[in-house]
Amino acid sequence: MKALADSKANKYFLAAVLLIAVLIPQVITSPSIMQILILTLFYAYLTSSWNLVGGFAGVLPLGHSAFIGIGAYTSTILYLHYGLSPWFGMLAGGVLAAVIGVIIGIPTLKLRGAYFALATMAFGEGLRVLVENVDTIGPLKVNGPRGLLINLTGNSFIDYQFTSKASYYYIILALLLIILLITWLLMRSKIGYYLSAGGEDPEAAAALGINVPRYKVMAMAISCFFTALAGTFYAQMFLYFYPKSILGLDMSFEIAFIALIGGRGTILGPVLGALLLRPLNEFTRIYLGGILPGMHLVIFGLILILVMIFQPRGIQEPLTRLYRRILYRIKGS
Amino acid sequence: MALLKVENVFKRFGGLVAVNDVSLTVEENQIIGIIGPNGAGKTTLFNCIAGAFPPSEGKIVFEGSEIGGKKPHQICTLGLSRTFQVVKPFASKTVLYNVTVGAFAKTNRRVEAEAKAIKVLEFLQMDDKRDVFAKNLTLPERKRLELARALATEPTMLLLDEVMAGLRFSEIEVMIELLKKIRAAGVTLVIVEHIMQAIMALSDHIYVLNFGGLIAQGSPAEIAQNQEVIKAYLGDDYVTVED
Amino acid sequence: MSGTALLYTDWLDEMEIIFESLLNGLLMGSIYGLTAVGLTLIFGVLKVINFAHGSILMVGMYAAYWCITLTGMNPYLAIPIVVPLMFYFGYFMQQFVIEPVFKVEKDVREPITVIIVTTGVWYILDNLALMIFGAKYRVVHTSVTGKLFELPGDIYLLQPKVYGFILTFISGLLLFWFLKTTLMGKAIRATSLDRDAASLMGVNQYKIYRTAFGIGTAVTGLAGCVLVPFYSVYPSVGIIFDIRAFIIVVLGGLGSIPGAILGGIIVGIIESVGAMYMPSTWTELVIYGLFLLLLFIKPTGLFGSKHDF
Ligand SMILES: Nc1ncnc2c1ncn2[C@@H]1O[C@H](COP(=O)(O)OP(=O)(O)O)[C@@H](O)[C@H]1O
Ligand SMILES: [Mg+2]
Repeated sequence: MKALADSKANKYFLAAVLLIAVLIPQVITSPSIMQILILTLFYAYLTSSWNLVGGFAGVLPLGHSAFIGIGAYTSTILYLHYGLSPWFGMLAGGVLAAVIGVIIGIPTLKLRGAYFALATMAFGEGLRVLVENVDTIGPLKVNGPRGLLINLTGNSFIDYQFTSKASYYYIILALLLIILLITWLLMRSKIGYYLSAGGEDPEAAAALGINVPRYKVMAMAISCFFTALAGTFYAQMFLYFYPKSILGLDMSFEIAFIALIGGRGTILGPVLGALLLRPLNEFTRIYLGGILPGMHLVIFGLILILVMIFQPRGIQEPLTRLYRRILYRIKGS
Repeated sequence: MALLKVENVFKRFGGLVAVNDVSLTVEENQIIGIIGPNGAGKTTLFNCIAGAFPPSEGKIVFEGSEIGGKKPHQICTLGLSRTFQVVKPFASKTVLYNVTVGAFAKTNRRVEAEAKAIKVLEFLQMDDKRDVFAKNLTLPERKRLELARALATEPTMLLLDEVMAGLRFSEIEVMIELLKKIRAAGVTLVIVEHIMQAIMALSDHIYVLNFGGLIAQGSPAEIAQNQEVIKAYLGDDYVTVED
Repeated sequence: MSGTALLYTDWLDEMEIIFESLLNGLLMGSIYGLTAVGLTLIFGVLKVINFAHGSILMVGMYAAYWCITLTGMNPYLAIPIVVPLMFYFGYFMQQFVIEPVFKVEKDVREPITVIIVTTGVWYILDNLALMIFGAKYRVVHTSVTGKLFELPGDIYLLQPKVYGFILTFISGLLLFWFLKTTLMGKAIRATSLDRDAASLMGVNQYKIYRTAFGIGTAVTGLAGCVLVPFYSVYPSVGIIFDIRAFIIVVLGGLGSIPGAILGGIIVGIIESVGAMYMPSTWTELVIYGLFLLLLFIKPTGLFGSKHDF
C-alpha cells in the first residue's frame, strides 16, 4: 500500500477507481445488478472490519456474524420501541458490540489462538440459538426465529430508508472508504505496528515493551464496533431480517475466508477478496446450484485450499505484482 | 546502589533445577559477563530476570524495586531490555519495521520512532539492510537485528544472549567495539557469550554457571586462572574461533 | 397415610427417571467423547484445530453404513474394515493436503493457514457427500438397532449405546497403551510437548504428524461405526458433532485424551438430565454458556496442562 500511494501513477489509479465507483449508480439502472454490487461492497466492508483483528492481530475470529446481529437487533429494537433514528441506533449497536467483543477478548486473547477461535465460534452459535429461542427480552420484542420487520416509511433520511438503490450503494461505499482509511491510518500508527508485532511473535513483542493481549483486545473492540454498523445497514436495506439470515456459522466463516483468500493483514486484500469471490460465489450458485447442489461449495473449498498452498498471503500479492508490472510497461513505453 | 540485584534465585522445571541459588550484582554502567557450558542455565536466568517466567524462588531487584514475577512488557518499560538466543524476528517485516517497533517504546509518533530506528541501524552499521525482509537475513544479521531492536527501546540495561554466535573473527572485533560504544552511551550490559575473546575483552566482572549454580566469579584475569572454571568449563568446552 | 405412600412412590419414580437419564447421559456422553478424542489428539500434535473433523466423522459413518447395508453384516464387524481405511484416509490427507501448507509455515507457532485448509476439506467432503448420496437421511437396520437392555427398576438402555460406551473405553485404553509404550507413541507425545523434540529423537517429524492424523481419523471412524446403528447418516451430520466436539475438547483440556472422554460425559449428562426440565435448544444454550464461562475461570479445562497455551 505504501508503494501504491507513493508514486503519481498510483494516485491517478486510485482516483480513477474511486471515480468509477462513484459513477456506477449513474450508469447502471438494473436493480438486480445494483443489488449484487451493494452486497459485494457490504462484504468488502465486513471483511475489512474483520481484518482489523483477524488480519493484524494474528488471531482467527470465527463468530463475527454475532456482531452483525447485535448491530441489526439493537438499532431495529430501539427504532421499533422508542422511535430512535437508526442512525443513532447504529452507534448504540456498535458500542454494545465493542463492549461484548472486549468481554470475550479479555480472557481468551491471552491464551493460545485456538481458544479465541473456538470461543468466538461458540459465542456466535450460542447467540443464534439464544435469539431463535426468545420472543421477548423484558418489554422488547425479538420475535425468535421469525425475525423483525421494519415498517416502510418511504424516502426518509432520518429513518434510514430510501427508495433508490443508489442511496444504499453510496452509504455502503462511504462506510467502506471510512474503514479503509482507518485501516490505513492504523497500519501507520503505533497501534498498527504493535498489533502486527504481537501477531507475528508475541514473545518478541512483549520483550519490546508491548502488552500484546491489550492491543489485541483493542483491535477486537474497533473491529466489533464497525462490524455492528453493517448489521444496521443490512436491516435498513432489506427492512426485514431473521436469525438465520445474519447470525450463524455460515456468515462468520464466509467473512473470514474472503479476507484470508484476499490477503489478511493488508488493506487491499479483503476488498479484492470480496470483489472476486462474492460474484463468483453468486454465479456458481445460480448456475451450478440447480444442476449439482453443493458443487459451488466444493469449488469454494478447492479455491481455499489452493490459495493457502500456493499463495498463503492471499491473492493480493500476485495481483499487486501484476499491477506493478503493467505500470512499469506503461511507463517504459 | 546496585542497578540490578539477583538474590538467591531458583528456577525449577519439574524435577530439573535449571537455576540453582544464583545471586549476582550489577552496578551502573558495568559490563558483566556470564559464562558456562551449554545447559548451565544462563538463558533461563535471563528469562527470569526479563519476566518470560517468574523465578521459583528468590528476589530480583531492578533500580531498587522488585521485578520478580512482573510481565516482560512491564520490565522492558522499566528500562530493562533483552535479546533472544533463539532469534525471534518479525519475519515478514523489513529490518526498519522491526527496529521501529522497538523504538515505539519511547514515543507515540511514527516519524520519531522511524528516525530513532534509522539512527540505531546506522550505529550498528546495518542501515544498508533497512528495507530487507527479516526472513531474508543471515543468522549473524538476525542476531544483530535482535540487538538493534532491543537498543531502540532505549534501555538503561541490556541483557544480551549470545549475540556474537556465528560471527567471524573480524566481525567479533567490530562487535566488541560496538558494545563498548553502547556502554559509553550509558547503557549497562549483561552478556552471555561463549566467545572468550569477547568476554575477556569486555567484562568488568564475570560470573560462571554450571548445572544451574554459580561456581566462580571475579575479574577476567581471576577467572582465567580459576582451576575449577578451567576444569568445568574451559577444559572441554572452550570455543575456538575460526576465521 | 395413603397420601404419604403415594408421595413416596412418586419420589421413587422420579429418582428412577433421573437415574435412567443419568445412565443414558453417561452412555451417550462417552460416545461424544469418542467423537472428540481424534480432534484432541490431532490438536495435541499439530497445535491446529482440525475443522474437517466433523466431516471425517461423516465419512466414517457413511463407510460403516455402506458396509453394513451392502453385506448385511453385524454392525460391529464393520469396525475392522472401516477403522484401517480411515487411518489411511487421514494419513494421506495429512501428507498431501495439509503438509504442504505446514511446511511453508513451519516457523509459525499456530499456523492459521492450516486451519483454513482443514476448513476447505470440510466444505469439499460435506458437499461431495451431498452430490453423491443426496440430502436424504439414511437409517440402517441392524441386529442391535432399537434393542434395549432392561435393568432392575424399570430402567431401559439402548443396546448400541451400551456397546458404544464399552468400545469407547476399550479404544481409550488401547490408545493410552500405544502412546505410553510404543516408540511411535512416545514420539507423538514428545512432539505434542515440543515440536522439535521428535527430530531430536531421530524420528521424522512429518511422519509423526501423518501417523497422529491417521490415528485421530481412525478413532473418529470408530466413532462413526458406533453411531451408525442408532443415528441417521446425512451429508451435514458432522457439523452437529463438530461444534459439540470443539466444546468437549476445551472442557477436557485441549490435547488431553482422558479429558476429551470426561468432557464428553459431562456434555452428555447435561443434555439428557437437562432434557427432563427444558426444551433441547435450551440445553444447547446451557452448554454454550458453560463453555464460555469455563474460558473465564479455567481456560485450560479439566485436564489441560498449564504450559500449553
Ligand atoms: N521452558 C523450559 N522447560 C523445561 N526445561 C527447560 C526450559 N528452559 C530450559 N530448560 C532446561 O534448563 C536447563 C538450562 O537451559 P538453558 O538456560 O537454556 O541453558 P544455557 O542457556 O546455559 O545453555 C536445560 O537443561 C534446559 O533443558
Ligand atoms: Mg542459552
